[in-house]
Amino acid sequence: MAGNFWQSSHYQQWVLDKQDLMRERQADLKVITEDEYQKVMIFFSNFIQALGEQLKVRQQVIATATIYFKRFYARNSLKCIDPWLMAPTCIFLASKVEEFGVISNSRLITTCQTVVKNKFPHAFNGDYPYRIQNVLECEFYLLEMMDCCLILYQPYRPLTQFCNDLKPENDLLPLSWRIVNDSLRTDVPLLYPPYLIAIACLHMACVIKQKDVKQWFAELSVDMDKILEISRQILALYEMWKTYDEKKEIAGILSKIPKPKLNPSRPPSTGANNQENNSQNSSASQSTQQTTKH
Amino acid sequence: MEAWKPWFEVKKYILQPKFYSFKVVLNNLYHLTYLWKGTYGTVFKAKNRETHEIVALKRVRLDDDDEGVPSSALREICLLKELKHTNIVRLHDVLHSEKKLTLVFEYCDQDLKKYFDSCNGEIDPDAVKSFMYQLLRGLAFCHSHNVLHRDLKPQNLLINKNGELKLADFGLARAFGIPVRFYSSEVVTLWYRPPDVLFGAKMYSTCIDMWSAGCIFAELANAGRPLFPGNDVDDQLKRIFKLLGTPTEEIWPGITQLPDYKPFPLYHVTTTWQQVVPQLNGKGRDLLQRLLVCYPNGRISADEGLQHSYFADLNPAIKQG
Repeated sequence: MAGNFWQSSHYQQWVLDKQDLMRERQADLKVITEDEYQKVMIFFSNFIQALGEQLKVRQQVIATATIYFKRFYARNSLKCIDPWLMAPTCIFLASKVEEFGVISNSRLITTCQTVVKNKFPHAFNGDYPYRIQNVLECEFYLLEMMDCCLILYQPYRPLTQFCNDLKPENDLLPLSWRIVNDSLRTDVPLLYPPYLIAIACLHMACVIKQKDVKQWFAELSVDMDKILEISRQILALYEMWKTYDEKKEIAGILSKIPKPKLNPSRPPSTGANNQENNSQNSSASQSTQQTTKH
Repeated sequence: MEAWKPWFEVKKYILQPKFYSFKVVLNNLYHLTYLWKGTYGTVFKAKNRETHEIVALKRVRLDDDDEGVPSSALREICLLKELKHTNIVRLHDVLHSEKKLTLVFEYCDQDLKKYFDSCNGEIDPDAVKSFMYQLLRGLAFCHSHNVLHRDLKPQNLLINKNGELKLADFGLARAFGIPVRFYSSEVVTLWYRPPDVLFGAKMYSTCIDMWSAGCIFAELANAGRPLFPGNDVDDQLKRIFKLLGTPTEEIWPGITQLPDYKPFPLYHVTTTWQQVVPQLNGKGRDLLQRLLVCYPNGRISADEGLQHSYFADLNPAIKQG
C-alpha cells in the first residue's frame, strides 16, 4: 500500500499524541522509571530483531513486528500480556501481513527457545515457556488491540525518494537508513508520520556528514519543530546508549515489572489500571465463560 | 533471579476484549440465517434483534495447529480496513469467539450472479451502465490504493436494494507496490482470467482486473450470459482468440516469452462486436473493446474508463455516489 497515507488507518488511528501515550503508560511508570521503560522497549525490539534474523525474515517484517509490539503496549500495561510472548506473536502476524509467508508453528517456538537460550541468557532464566497455542491466542489480542489496523507505512520509502531528490551523490541514504532503524527503538514511530521521521533522519545524517542542505529543507514546507522533536528523541537514545550496559542492567529492570498473580480460578480483583475495562466487561465475560462450559 | 513463569493463564481475566462480550451479543441478539459458502468461510445473514440492523457475518473456522488467522482472511481484513468506499463492501468489525473468527460486513441483498438469475434474460440498459460505472469506480479506488482485486467475477460483486454495487471477497486481493513481487498465476476464476495470466505471466498489475471488468461488462450487457465460458485453460484461450484474433509478437511484444506460452491457430476476427453484445450501444461497445485487449498494457485503466463518453448521460445521482 503506497501513496495513500492520509487515508490510511495508520494516519487516522495510529499517529498518537504524546500526552495520551504517557497517560496510558502511567500504570507501568509506577513501578519502573520512564528511562527503564524505554530500556524494556529497546530490549524487546532487540529480541524481535534477533528472532527475525534467526527466522531469516526481511527487515520490513521485523520493522512491522516491532511497531505492532509498540502499538500493543501503547494501549496496555506491560503486565497484561508477557512481552516474551508478544514478541514472537508480532513476528508471526507481521510475516503473514507482509506476505513473507507463514512461519511454521514448530519453527517459531524452536527459534524462541534457541534465541532465548543463546542470546538472552542474561535476561531470561530457564526454558522458554510458551507454546504455539499461546501464540495463536495472543494473535487475537494483538489484532483486537490494534483494531485490525495491520498495514503500516515505514519511513524507508519516503527516505529513498528524498535522498534521490537531494542528489544521490551526497550519499546520505546508508547513514540516514541506519538512523531510521534506530528510530524503531524509540517512541517516534508511534508519534509521527513516517515521512516526517524520514526527513528528520535525513536531516540528522546531513548534520553528521556536514552537508549544507538548508535550501532543500527550506523548500520542503514541513513543520521544522516536529522534525527537531523527532531528532531530539533519537539523540536522547544515542545519549543513553553511551552509558547503558544492557547485559548488566536488563534482568534487574525486567524483574521489577509486576507480574499478575497466577490465580486462574477466579477473575482478579480489579487492578488500578484496568478498572474501567473490567467493570465494563466483567459481567459479559462471566456469562461468556458460562456459555463456553456448556 | 527467580525463574520466569508464563503469564498467559491470567491475562484472560485482565484483558477482556470486546469479542468475548460480543459472543453473547452474537447468540442473544442476532438471528442467523445461512447465506452461502465463500472462499474461506461460511456467510450468514444476521439481524440485530434490538437495532434491527442487518449485517453479513463471515465465519472463519480456525484450526488449532494451523497458521492461526488464515492469510486469506488476514489479507481481507487488513485491506478492507484501508479501503473505505461506497463501492467496496464495508467491514464493520472483526470478532473472535471459540475457535472461530467472525467478520461483520455490511449486508447486501444479492450478488450479481443472483441478480442475473432474476433477470430472465432481460436487463435495463441504464442498470448496465450504472453497475459498470460503479464497478469501475470501486476498482479505480482499489487501484489508487495499490490494491489488486485479482478475483473479479459476478459472485464477488454485491448489489443492495438501492442498486449500489460493491466489490467483495478480497481474500485473493493483494497490496502491491515497489518492488514488484511475483504472484502466483493460479488466481483468477478461469472465465474472467486475462490471456497473459492464462499464459502463466507472473508479474501483473491493475490490468488483470480491467480484463475481468471487460468480461463482466459483456455479461451485464447480455443479461448474464458469460462471454468466455471456457472449460479449461486451452479452451479459454481459444474462445478469447476466436473473438479477438490470435495475438502475435507484433501486437503483443513478449507474448512468446511467457512461461506457459504455446502457439495457437491464427484465428481471424469474424464476429462483430454488434453480434457479441447486440443490446449495447456504440459507445458501450467502444469501452468494451478498450477493456478486452489481449496485450495487458493496452487495456484502459479504471480511471480512464470512468471518463469514457459511454457514461456521459449517466444519472448524475449515481455519478455523485
